[in-house]
Amino acid sequence: MTLHRLVPIVLVIAACSSKDRRPPPPPPPGAPQLAHGTQADLARELDDAAHRGTWQEVRHRWQGQRLRWSVTRHAALCSTAERCNVAAFPVLRPAQNGWMPLLEFAPGQWDALVASCGDRADCDVTIEGTLVELDASGERATKLRFGDVSIASGKLASR
Amino acid sequence: MNKKLTASICGLALAAGGLALVPAVMASSHREAPMIAEDQLVDNTDVYSFISPTNPDRLVIVADYVPLLLPQSGPNFYRFADDARYEVHIDNDGDAKADWTYRWTFENEVKNGNTFLYNTGPVDSLTSANLNVTQWYKLERINEKTGQKTRLLTHAPVAPWNVGKRSFANYEQVALQAIQTSANTTSFAGPRDEPFFVDLHVFDLLGVGGAKTTDGVNVLSLVLEVPITDIASGGVRPTTATGKKSVVGIYASASRPQVRILRRHRDSDDFGQFIQVSRLGWPLVNEVIIPLKDKDNYNHTDPKDDVSNYGGYILDPEVPKLLNLVLGAGCAPTPNGGRMDIVGLLSPNGTAAADLLRINIATGQTNAQSHFPNGRALTDDVTDTLLTVACNNGSAIGDGVNANDKPFSNVMPYLASPASGNP
Repeated sequence: MTLHRLVPIVLVIAACSSKDRRPPPPPPPGAPQLAHGTQADLARELDDAAHRGTWQEVRHRWQGQRLRWSVTRHAALCSTAERCNVAAFPVLRPAQNGWMPLLEFAPGQWDALVASCGDRADCDVTIEGTLVELDASGERATKLRFGDVSIASGKLASR
Repeated sequence: MNKKLTASICGLALAAGGLALVPAVMASSHREAPMIAEDQLVDNTDVYSFISPTNPDRLVIVADYVPLLLPQSGPNFYRFADDARYEVHIDNDGDAKADWTYRWTFENEVKNGNTFLYNTGPVDSLTSANLNVTQWYKLERINEKTGQKTRLLTHAPVAPWNVGKRSFANYEQVALQAIQTSANTTSFAGPRDEPFFVDLHVFDLLGVGGAKTTDGVNVLSLVLEVPITDIASGGVRPTTATGKKSVVGIYASASRPQVRILRRHRDSDDFGQFIQVSRLGWPLVNEVIIPLKDKDNYNHTDPKDDVSNYGGYILDPEVPKLLNLVLGAGCAPTPNGGRMDIVGLLSPNGTAAADLLRINIATGQTNAQSHFPNGRALTDDVTDTLLTVACNNGSAIGDGVNANDKPFSNVMPYLASPASGNP
């Protein structure tokens, strides 16, 4: 098996914790139901769109969805409620995707994140939020923004 | 197939794969992305910034464009694009958003269109009637918070190309006439000796060995020297060196109009808003960290979005793996938590991580402290520094080229005189 084929598989395995395999929260009214809603699923669809030009379909399917993702919060990159990007993937050596979702928290949820992570430089958390912006077109760098984010669970990263 | 042969084939394959990145690694930001490589006149190559060596109350910013120019490139010698905007942006409060922008826009002039000559006789001053092809610029200072524009220079001259000894008995004496000062801001625009030093033999199957391959080529430079209070947050120079507002973040960019219509019987027309096509803060970020699929995107986007767009690459850059695979450099593996050391370098004093050349402007800062990554001096060997940082194994690595061939100056325009087309 080539490295090219192996990396996406490792990516999928690494990104899909048991919690991530739970069905995603129900879609908002009018939005299509996602069978799989992890970041690995989105990355796979974005890679596919890069080859097939299906950017609009991907945006339509994902934007507005309420998603539950396991992510890593690096304190240096998520230092305030107003400036918080999280790593959607573990270190893959090398990275396959540059995007790091920007989080906008529901009331009280920034404090919940801080309480979950303590003073650790990085910690793994499961967030639930609405993907309010999926800027993906092939003409610009892919960018994601989650709104109304709540902390579903958190634990210190085992570094 | 024996193991040795297999290993050799694998090594060659890996080397071939690595070539796509490693040459760019070694070439600062010269031709670093596919689209900008086809639009040479707006290609940022390097940004430098340092406290003035003669006046610690002033900051020097150098933005270089148009890479690897042959001195004898006549009869239409290189010049800035007259349909582009060249800009230097400054963030002074740590949010990675520009607070001040300095913008250069250029216009061309030909005195006599009935000759192919750049100059029709010896040139001893910028106002010489023999200087047939000239370029001029407007320099504006823009407050990004209010949108207010202040015109600092109007119809300022660009230094001419160093055509050769028959045209210029004393080229530098003429070129230095292009230094202009207005409202306490000093500006220079024109060709200079390429200050970036590197061994470009890396293109020949990674054959680095200290060859000074950027000697003797030129670049187009914009040099700006401003009072630090002009760019500091609130117009006040910070008194402590530790706060977010004690560092400014600088990047240069170039933009072109969105639409160009080619006309059959006359010059083309440009329409639409200006679109950023090139940008640069730190040296080598687009080369070392950004993969090919996002290199053009990187030039279109702003530093404030760098973490959202490219944070994954910053946490886990590819170059140490390539150095290991291709050169057996013994670079350290990326830690499980990612390269937070690089994030830290991109976010000094708690500023937002971004590809900005950050320099501390607090009172007491001097030219001696202006060395990468706290600003960037012309003499800094950033290739070695960044390869060493990327490799992260405690050993220094580099390309074997450690200095420019020509010395730099302590006064405007700081860069060395450009190589002559006919020395």
